[in-house]
Amino acid sequence: MMTCRELIQLLIDFVSGELPPEHQALVQQHLQTCPPCVAYLQTYQHTIRLARQLPCQPLPPDLDRRLRAALAEIKAMPAPPAVT
Amino acid sequence: MARNESVPPEPALTAEQVYRDYAPRVYNLARRMLGNNADAEDVTQDVLLQVVRKLGTFRGESAFSTWLHRVTVNAALAHRRKRAGHREYSMQDNLDQVMAANHAPGPVRHWTVGPEQQVLDRETQELIENAIAKLPEIYRDVYVLADVEGLPNAEIGEMLGLSLAAVKSRLHRARMLMRDELAPHFEEVSA
Repeated sequence: MMTCRELIQLLIDFVSGELPPEHQALVQQHLQTCPPCVAYLQTYQHTIRLARQLPCQPLPPDLDRRLRAALAEIKAMPAPPAVT
Repeated sequence: MARNESVPPEPALTAEQVYRDYAPRVYNLARRMLGNNADAEDVTQDVLLQVVRKLGTFRGESAFSTWLHRVTVNAALAHRRKRAGHREYSMQDNLDQVMAANHAPGPVRHWTVGPEQQVLDRETQELIENAIAKLPEIYRDVYVLADVEGLPNAEIGEMLGLSLAAVKSRLHRARMLMRDELAPHFEEVSA
C-alpha cells in the first residue's frame, strides 16, 4: 500500500497525466481510502488553476511613457544592416 | 504531417505591434520573477529596446514569443545576479534538500474556490501575487514560467539550464509551498 508521503511525491506526474499506469492505479487505490490525500489533491489542483487565472497587469503609466519615448527615438534612427 | 508549401510566410512584426501585444507580458513576467516593480521596469525597458532593434530578423509570432520569453528570463536573471550575487542560490539548494526530506501531509481541509475560468477578484489576485513573491527564487522562477506563463517543462529547463527532473522537482515544491500559503484563505470553515 502506498503511503501519503509517497503519493504526494507523485502528484506532479499524476495531475499532468504522466504517471505510468501501475503507479496511477496505486494512487487511485490510495485515494479511495484516504480523505486527507483527496483533500490535498483537490487543493494542489486549485493552486495550479488559480495561478493560471492571474491576469496580465497593464504597464504602469510612467513606464509606458518612458518606453514610448525610447521607442520613438529608436524609430528615428537608421535601420541596422540585415543579419544574414 | 506534410508541410503545406502554399502557406505564405508570416508578416514581419512591427515595433507598435510588439509594444502593444508584448510589453505588458514582459513586465508581468519580470515583476513576478524579481518580486520588485522597479527592477521589473528596468528589465522591461532593456528587453523591449533590445527586441525592437532586432525585429527585422523575425518572421511570425510563434518563434518571436519563444525568443521573447527567453530574452526576458535571461535579463531578469542577469538583473538579479547583479543585485545579489550568487550566495542565495547555494543557500536555496540546501533548502531544496531539506524540503525534499521533510515535507509530509498535515491536517488538510478542502477549499472553497470558484469555478475555473472565473475572473479573480482583486483581493484574490493580490493574495496569489504575494504568495508568489514569498517563494524562494529557485522555486519562484520555475513556478512563474510553468504555472503562470504556461510554458512546457522542457522549455523551462532549457531557459534556466536545468534538467527536466530538476524543473519538475522544483515546480512540485513550489506548488506545495503555494498551497500551504494559500490554504488558510481558502479552507472551508468547519461546522
